[in-house]
Amino acid sequence: MSRDGAVARSLEYFDDEAGYWTDLARRVAVPTECQRVERTPELYQYLEEEMRSGFEAMGYSCQVYDNPLEGFGPVLLASRIEGENLPTVLGYGHGDVVRGQEGLWDEDRDPWIMERDGDKVYGRGTADNKGQHSVHMAALKSVITERGQLGFNSKFMIETGEENGSKGLKDLVAAHKDDFAADVYFASDGPRVDIAHPNLTLGCRGTRNFDLVLNLRAGGHHSGNWGGVLANPGIVLANAIATMVDVNGRILVEGLRPPPISNSVRDALKDVKREGGENAPEINPDWGEPGLTAPERVYAWNTLEVLAYVTGNPDKPVNAVPPRGHVNCQLRYVVGTDPDNIIPAVRQHLDENGFGMIEIHEPPPSNDGKFAAARTDPDHPWAQWMMGAVARTIGNQPAVMPNSGGSICNDVFQDVLGIPFVWLPLSYGGCSQHAPNEHIIWSLTREGMELVTGVYWDLGDPNTAYQP
Amino acid sequence: MSREEAVEGIQAYFDSGDYVAELARRVAIPSESQKENNQAELRRYLEEEIQPGFEAMEHNCEIFENPVEGKGPVLLATRIEDEALPTVLGYGHGDVVRGLEDQWIEGLNPWVTTQVDDKLYGRGTADNKGQHTINMAAIRRVLKVRGSLGFNSKFMVEMGEENGSPGIFGVVEANLDKFSADVFIASDGPRISPERPTIFLGARGCRNFELVLKCRDGGHHSGNWGGLLTNPGIVMAHALKSIVSPNGKILIEDWRPPPLSDAVRASLTDIAPSGGDDAPDIDPDWGEPGLSPVEQIHAWNSFEVLTFKTGNPRQPVNAVPAEARANCQLRFVAGTNTDRILPALREHLDEHGFEMIAIEPPPPENAPEFNASATPPDDPWAAWTADAMERTTGKKTAVIPSLGGSICNDLFNVTLGLPSIWIPHSYSGCSQHAPNEHILLSEAREALAIMTGLYWDLGEGGTPGKKH
Repeated sequence: MSRDGAVARSLEYFDDEAGYWTDLARRVAVPTECQRVERTPELYQYLEEEMRSGFEAMGYSCQVYDNPLEGFGPVLLASRIEGENLPTVLGYGHGDVVRGQEGLWDEDRDPWIMERDGDKVYGRGTADNKGQHSVHMAALKSVITERGQLGFNSKFMIETGEENGSKGLKDLVAAHKDDFAADVYFASDGPRVDIAHPNLTLGCRGTRNFDLVLNLRAGGHHSGNWGGVLANPGIVLANAIATMVDVNGRILVEGLRPPPISNSVRDALKDVKREGGENAPEINPDWGEPGLTAPERVYAWNTLEVLAYVTGNPDKPVNAVPPRGHVNCQLRYVVGTDPDNIIPAVRQHLDENGFGMIEIHEPPPSNDGKFAAARTDPDHPWAQWMMGAVARTIGNQPAVMPNSGGSICNDVFQDVLGIPFVWLPLSYGGCSQHAPNEHIIWSLTREGMELVTGVYWDLGDPNTAYQP
Repeated sequence: MSREEAVEGIQAYFDSGDYVAELARRVAIPSESQKENNQAELRRYLEEEIQPGFEAMEHNCEIFENPVEGKGPVLLATRIEDEALPTVLGYGHGDVVRGLEDQWIEGLNPWVTTQVDDKLYGRGTADNKGQHTINMAAIRRVLKVRGSLGFNSKFMVEMGEENGSPGIFGVVEANLDKFSADVFIASDGPRISPERPTIFLGARGCRNFELVLKCRDGGHHSGNWGGLLTNPGIVMAHALKSIVSPNGKILIEDWRPPPLSDAVRASLTDIAPSGGDDAPDIDPDWGEPGLSPVEQIHAWNSFEVLTFKTGNPRQPVNAVPAEARANCQLRFVAGTNTDRILPALREHLDEHGFEMIAIEPPPPENAPEFNASATPPDDPWAAWTADAMERTTGKKTAVIPSLGGSICNDLFNVTLGLPSIWIPHSYSGCSQHAPNEHILLSEAREALAIMTGLYWDLGEGGTPGKKH
């Protein structure tokens, strides 16, 4: 009975074709696309057939909670309470995935059929997040088998609406606060920063999407007969965007900019390298806020994106002054930005710059995820403990990311449950999550298996256990 | 034998219903030039309607095959009375846009003329069958009353105008002597307002092109990558901002025409545009500062973003988009250096740091290329024509230096070197190119009188005479 024994069990499971591969392939095959309302039955199916049976086999009791919002997916909570005096660790995963985007994958791959090519394993959800919570489930099982018990209390929640902005999750957890109560939080999602080196992630940027809409008239008008006397909404919106963010991506609206980066965050990012692997896009070193390093721009600063922009009929241009233009924008923001002031700041900016006619609309419901920014302080004991647990596996300190670039429901843990949270991401930046060709690196996932098993082992070992 | 007799005669022709009957016969031929394999109808229109019509007026008719494979023929009718007399070249097009049969108001058929109050519905009533039918009837009336025209008449009818007039330059350039004349007088398009007799002396040219910024192959998660990747939508917005101000002022020096001549400015002082009930509200602050709305359309250049697209506007996702594409158009008046349009844009983009934005040709289905040309408002033929019209109507003729839209005016004005005078008989609410095309019968009646008086006066002497 040892840490090494538990890790060996995990690797044996991982290397056995009937083990991790088979379990993950079966989970990928369930098309849990939460952005399509007709997939709600698949969301329930995933929780009932994959999660409940998996956790119950490990001696957890499971409960599925319906989402308080109509049309959004359920949440499963698995609980294994070994002793009232033991610390309780909350885990998390999401069983939903983004749309399959069938037909757009290389080699004509089917997003719902897992396929291996060298060290890459393709399939929708392999990286985000089925592959990652499957690692956690297997690691917990290895520890239970090796030790006969966990040695701590474990709660694990699986939601099915993360790719929809985790709608309803905050209210659901708040309504069942005792069920979800825990001392600390540990889970895996998203990519690590450097493919060659594990890192902890202690927070996330928040997200606020909004649309800029300029609706000038009912229809298009002949550009010869009218060109010169009708305002062109495409031109007006382009000019408006250009006042909000400069040509190098620097945010120009004061209310959308964060306070200066704190020393502790700057220190944590000092040694972070930003590498996405071979499929990663080329970084533009001049993009974003001047004077910041690349990691600081993604993990410690705000970004304003034009997600989509349309005027006229791009599929079939005609010689007419278009009647309207529509821009989908997004602010990703770090802790310290006032989320309630984002829209008022944009409104005031537009008004002050002569764009009073541009309306600010809520984003389309299919892509209106709102996440608040959140962060566990790098000096928090739980963050420090997690660093030690990972170091016991890899032999040196993991990197510490004060923030991920992306947004996730950290505010549920931070604000509703009031517990420190730490993420150990198992994927890498080039994994094409949210795009065709989503994949995991097999060897990297195998390493993740070791890391996560080690963390769970140490949590239940009296010599290393975390004392809240 | 008098002018009054000729004008009264033409009004009797109208009042008897003969004009509508003659037009109805022509509308009944579905001479749609945008339809493939419609050659038989295009030829039939010339052979059954135009050739017999002119031969009855003792014109010699020649039909030229189109040098472009599969495109419609061109007819030239010629009546030379005396080499010493001035020769007037007329023009019409017998082809029409698609019928759009299923989109007309219930009870209307594009190929059957239907009168409702003052409107005569039918495809081609306004564009252009109704107009060249007026001019042909007027020539016939003068010939009947006077026994001769008193001038030499040439009249060409093409069958491909709605398809971009393919091959027409080739036909004319190969037969310059046959098409040669002293002045060009023809009818197409709308009056400035239904009750205001109008001439226009040229047309704006147009060039379409696309600005394309392709940053990378696919979208990348805006959380993981936002701050590191160039957002093509933002950069394209800045490029457009550098080209055109938020109020539509063109900022590329080579794209701006020379200042308005006094003659042009004077001719537009008493022009008030009126588009009828369906016209959009004009934006008085759009375009070049200091110009009136009519000057913007008829004497200045306008730049339009016809379409703009980045990301997936129908289904926005939280990703930094890979590409942005703006389909753009410059409408320009005579005096603009056409050869400099694209080179000047390239230089402008390079000078403003947008070397990475490519200039690409527009999609072939919407790639109009028209040159700008115009006869100066102080040309003797312009003044003579405006006066001749006023002798019939008692109204002051509106003289428009340049049509806002684009037509092949340069064929007559530049290739044949003629003063080019257009006398439109329709109005801007006529739904040409759309379902429910119609002509106003009251306007057609007045136009018949105008053209009869004009052709009468052409044979009276006292014209600016032959070209030197």
